[in-house]
Parts: sequence; structure tokens; C-alpha cells
Amino acid sequence: MHKGMHKGSCLCGAVRIAVEGRLAAPDACHCSQCRKQSGHFWASTDIPKSALKIEGEETVTWYRSSGKVERGFCSTCGSFLFWKPLEGDYIAIGMGAFETPTGTHLEKHIFVADKGDYYEIADGLPQNAQ
Amino acid sequence: MHKGSCLCGGVRIEATGDLVPPDACHCSWCRKQSGHFWVSTYIPQDSMTIAGEERVRWYRSSEEGARGFCSTCGSFLFWNPVEGDHIAISMGVFETPTQTQLARHLYVADQGDYYEIADGLPQRAQ
Repeated sequence: MHKGMHKGSCLCGAVRIAVEGRLAAPDACHCSQCRKQSGHFWASTDIPKSALKIEGEETVTWYRSSGKVERGFCSTCGSFLFWKPLEGDYIAIGMGAFETPTGTHLEKHIFVADKGDYYEIADGLPQNAQ
Repeated sequence: MHKGSCLCGGVRIEATGDLVPPDACHCSWCRKQSGHFWVSTYIPQDSMTIAGEERVRWYRSSEEGARGFCSTCGSFLFWNPVEGDHIAISMGVFETPTQTQLARHLYVADQGDYYEIADGLPQRAQ
């Protein structure tokens, strides 16, 4: 089991994150909201809020994308960093933010009913319609 | 005509003509900004119109160009090279059907370690 600290940042470096412990296996989300915000589809890992430290949080803009969810991005460079349910004790972090090695691997595809028409999912991982 | 928008709808685009087959870029910059990797199509700038352009914030990520995103919802929309008359637009913004297909993967030397590319399309290290 990979333990220790996982570090990451947005593109411009204004927002820096550190996660204590191993990263849970990420999901790839093909919903229309994640497709629009990421530009393709979004891969993220769920982290207990208590295990996450954010530096430069004042640079994060939060966008309320639905009644119970906020999405966070860097105000300076636009990096899509966070998906956060308003209730609950976890936050999803964009896998692109993390330094290598991540010590984890994509687990499944979700919301494939909303996937784009210009690509195929060919990696053999489980796919959920929602 | 292909139409699209950011997540909040504050920025709307229209592109005339067919969309050229997009590239998937796995460079560390595109990975950080998109959250995974980025897929975009190149459009001649004179074939695109943008409504709500005042909401687009530009980040000059390198000498070569700037990246544009919606300042309200953060949607990653554009990569605008300094040279040339084309702009790259995220495929995620477009309404279906896009009538195009991913052509290849770029900068796979910088690919993340948590996923595989298994679609059989051409891959370039840079």
C-alpha cells in the first residue's frame, strides 16, 4: 500500500494541495457538466476533507453547478481542481493536479450515457450509464 | 454550423463548417488545466463567433500562446497560439452531433501514470 503525502498544484502554481495517505482509485466522469468544464471528460479521486490541505485557497473560485454541488477552479489559470458536495465529508480532486507517481489507477467510467460522440472508451474498465 | 457553450452558458460559440478531427493532448499543462487530458479541434479564427467574450479570462501559459476559460464557471475553452490564424477549442463545449472523431494522441511522453491509452489511435511522444 502506498502511503505518505501526495502533492499537486494548478497550472500556474497559485493553488497547491497536499493529501495525506493513499489516493483512492479515480473515476472518469463523462457527464455533460464535467465534459464542458474539463474540455473532454474528467478524472478525479475522492479525498476525505480532513486529509486535504490547500494553499492559496483564496485563489479558488467556486461555481455552484447544481443545488448541492460546487466546482472549484483556479481564478488565475482556470485549472479545474475540485468537485465538492456541500454536504458530506469528502471532496473530488482532478487527477491532473497530482505529481507523479500517483500510486493509483483509474477504476471505472461513469455517466457514459452522456459521453461525447467523438471518442471511444476502449480501456476495458467497467462503465456505468450514470 | 456547430454550436457550443461553457458550463454556465455565459460564453457561447458558433463555428461554421466541419470540425477537423481533434487531438488529445497529454502534456502536463493540459493535464493540470483540464483535470485529466485535453481534447480540442482547430478552427480558423474567422470562422468562429463568440458571445460573452468579456467573460473569457486568458492565461498566458507560455510564449507560444494563451489559454482561455470562463471566469464564472471555469470551463476550459480555448488555446490560442500567438502565431497563426487558428484557435483550438475544447471538444467538450460542442453540442452533439459533432460529426468528427478523435485523430491522435499528443505528448504521450507526459501522460499521467493512472490511465492507459487503449483506443489504437496514433500516439506521438511530443
